[in-house]
Amino acid sequence: MIKLNVNGVEHSLDIEPDMPLLWALREETALRGTKFGCGIGMCGACTVHIDGDPIRSCSYPVSAAVGKEINTIESIGTADAPHAVQRAWIEHQVPQCGYCQSGMQMAAVALLNTNPQPSDEDIDNAMTNLCRCGTYDRIRAAIKTAAKELV
Amino acid sequence: MGITRRIFMITGAAVGGGLLLGVGGVSAHLLTHNRVGVQQDAHESDDSTHINMWLRITPDNKIIVINPHTDMGQGSSTGLMQIVADELDADWSQMLVEQAPADTAYSNGKVFEGFVREMMTPPEWASTLLENGFYRMGDLMKMQMTGGSSAVRFTGWDSMRHAAAATRQMLIAAAAEKLNVAANTLTTEAGNVLHADSGRSLPYGELAAAAAVLDSPKDIQLKSREQYRYVGKPVARVDVPSKVLANEDYGIDAAVPDMQYAAIATSGVFGAQVKSIDNLDEVKAARGVSDVLIVPDGVAVVADNPWRAEKAVRTVKFTREPHDNDTLSTESLVNRQRQALSEDLTSGMTAGAPDDIQTTVNAEYLVPYLAHASLEPMNATVWQQDGKLHVIGGVQNPLLARARAAKEAGLDLDDVVFQARQMGGGFGRRVAFSMSDDEPLNWLIQAVRIAVDTGKPVKTTWSRETDTRSDVYRPMVMAQFEGALADDGKPSLWRSRSYGKEMNIKAVAPPYKIPNLAVSYADLPHPVPTGFWRSVEHSQHGYFVESFIDELAISAGVDPLQYRLNLLDENSPAAQVLLKVAEMSGWRSGADNQGRAMGVALVHSFGSTVAQVVEASLTPSGPKAHRVWCAVDCGVPVNPQAIEAQVQGSVHYALSAALYGKCDLKDGGVVQSNFHDYRIVSMRDAPRVEVELLPLGSPVGGVGEIGVPPLAPALCNALTVLDGKRRRVLPLV
Repeated sequence: MIKLNVNGVEHSLDIEPDMPLLWALREETALRGTKFGCGIGMCGACTVHIDGDPIRSCSYPVSAAVGKEINTIESIGTADAPHAVQRAWIEHQVPQCGYCQSGMQMAAVALLNTNPQPSDEDIDNAMTNLCRCGTYDRIRAAIKTAAKELV
Repeated sequence: MGITRRIFMITGAAVGGGLLLGVGGVSAHLLTHNRVGVQQDAHESDDSTHINMWLRITPDNKIIVINPHTDMGQGSSTGLMQIVADELDADWSQMLVEQAPADTAYSNGKVFEGFVREMMTPPEWASTLLENGFYRMGDLMKMQMTGGSSAVRFTGWDSMRHAAAATRQMLIAAAAEKLNVAANTLTTEAGNVLHADSGRSLPYGELAAAAAVLDSPKDIQLKSREQYRYVGKPVARVDVPSKVLANEDYGIDAAVPDMQYAAIATSGVFGAQVKSIDNLDEVKAARGVSDVLIVPDGVAVVADNPWRAEKAVRTVKFTREPHDNDTLSTESLVNRQRQALSEDLTSGMTAGAPDDIQTTVNAEYLVPYLAHASLEPMNATVWQQDGKLHVIGGVQNPLLARARAAKEAGLDLDDVVFQARQMGGGFGRRVAFSMSDDEPLNWLIQAVRIAVDTGKPVKTTWSRETDTRSDVYRPMVMAQFEGALADDGKPSLWRSRSYGKEMNIKAVAPPYKIPNLAVSYADLPHPVPTGFWRSVEHSQHGYFVESFIDELAISAGVDPLQYRLNLLDENSPAAQVLLKVAEMSGWRSGADNQGRAMGVALVHSFGSTVAQVVEASLTPSGPKAHRVWCAVDCGVPVNPQAIEAQVQGSVHYALSAALYGKCDLKDGGVVQSNFHDYRIVSMRDAPRVEVELLPLGSPVGGVGEIGVPPLAPALCNALTVLDGKRRRVLPLV
């Protein structure tokens, strides 16, 4: 059995140690806010936090997540209490199709947790996720708005 | 109760005019069935009133707009709600939107009509007949399409706007009867009919049932642009909050009881089928695997987890039927196209163009096949229950998807229940129909086969690799140009030849005044499956035309922006957007001291006109676009902030194609497989994009695709300034 701590909840799962975390999250714990895009860690739609660090869960075996705190988009904010990043995302009307945006927000939250006032260069370096709709202009603006709010 | 009743109308006498209304300026489309009656039957269980094809009003005064298009985040739902709210004098807090069900009662013939009217103007007497005909065609073709940037400009502006305005007049008429006052003493405001003299007011919700059976007005009173409160304002899109909070269910998020998961290995050669699976026992022995089966174009493995299915399908060894496409390669296809251009061509547009004009500028251009690469790979969930086949999927054409699923399963349309879900990107990939014989719903066909053949509820999800290699691609196109200059430097002749059936010759011809013009094409198919790709033929021909005009400008020694202006009517939208983009960008010819240069391009598409300036440089890792300015004439900008987003997104979509996008063919299949070799621009690559919308009073144009075509030529034109090299083949990196 693989024991995973997801959003503060312990799960004991009968899965292979090399199953990518993404598929354990989506299909074994039914947390489907984390998306599948490429399976090779390129697009970042599957970004979650492991002990606060953003990782690409499609290429991260569950065995490596044992004993660590896993956080998904579902733990970041709610309709009643959205995260500052989510408020900024709505204010700037960031999503188009929206499919990449849970991963984008997880990357942005991790960036702001370690670097509360990121420069454009910092944003370029941290936000390596892909958005096929091309919402980059607004993602950049929303990160800056969220950064101001988090001061 | 499901939507099952079909009433075909012979005359309009059987029901009130209001029930028939729903189309612009015409109170009846007699040859179609009674759509509103069918719609009302389906809603018997709720107490809302179907006022017309697109609107329901509830007793508690909510106005429900029924969107017959799918909103993929382009903002059509919000835009349609804005139009209806304004014409109906409704308050935004009353407005709701619903996705139309996948039913012929909601087919969208208006889209066809819009496209045809763009190419020709029918005489007045034929208009009603045509409109009826298009709806009937929509029914028969099971057309419920989102494509061609048509939702707001055709369905919204031509149809829903009139329907909402007529509804307001019918609500007033109903109130007049109820209050026993003259209609002209009544006004409307925030979802109420007001009688100022007596201070009485009636909410629409209390009038809807009575209004719905009234005759629709002969003279529909549309609001003037000055009266709009929502149209033209930056309204927050209704789909954004749930997407930000990850509360949105995409097709891939479907979950049904006992669901199994299928993964697909493609045959590897377009059109070739799998003959046998050679290691069946080995594949079946893997953990969780329940079924291994041959499906159209490949092999499927069904397992209890998508990763187990994918892992197992990658171990499948199979034998393929031989196929004519076995030796297909990019090289063979390029040669085929070049050969075709040297043979007899179809003439698309000719004016003068005698053979004896000496041409001085000659060029051959080539753009490759492109995959759509929506971030959500194609998937569908299919199961059988209570004698029906149930399908969940994200498509740009739910009705046609339902019809194709029915055909594949050998069922009637009524025996298939289709739930359209949110799409993780469409860009034309999910539009479901094709102008060729190719099957754009190939993933859905596989998913239906798997569920029917195994008898299990199965979600079929393509890997990124399968998605990239099983697309219906933007066609590869070769184009050849010949130009001659008059003494004043202006083009005296423009001759072009290009490969492919050209449905829209306007997209292939230059938008400039040129005395001698000859546009021809090789009307031949592609052995590679092709489909609609964001901006369709404009994506290739915008690049060709706007690159070649730059070649002529350079040959004439004239600034490329001024050269274009010299060939346009001064007051045309094209000239206006060029002047605006010059102002926005601070247009300059020549490189600046940071090694950056500007290029310009102008493309008219989907009823809108866009000029772009790209500022670019050449870096050790390749060309870089730093900034992009876009001047847009899309007529009435219904939701400016959503339009800005569409144009910005289109720029990045087009930049991915210009810099990196290509699908090479080798041994009958596509070489590229995933984002490492089919690259997409990231934040670091993404230029800053500024968009301005010009109030030129033009008719309403599309917005979802118009930002794509000018990007590649503007970028290449900028790079030519830097090193003098003309880039006639894409991609650049």
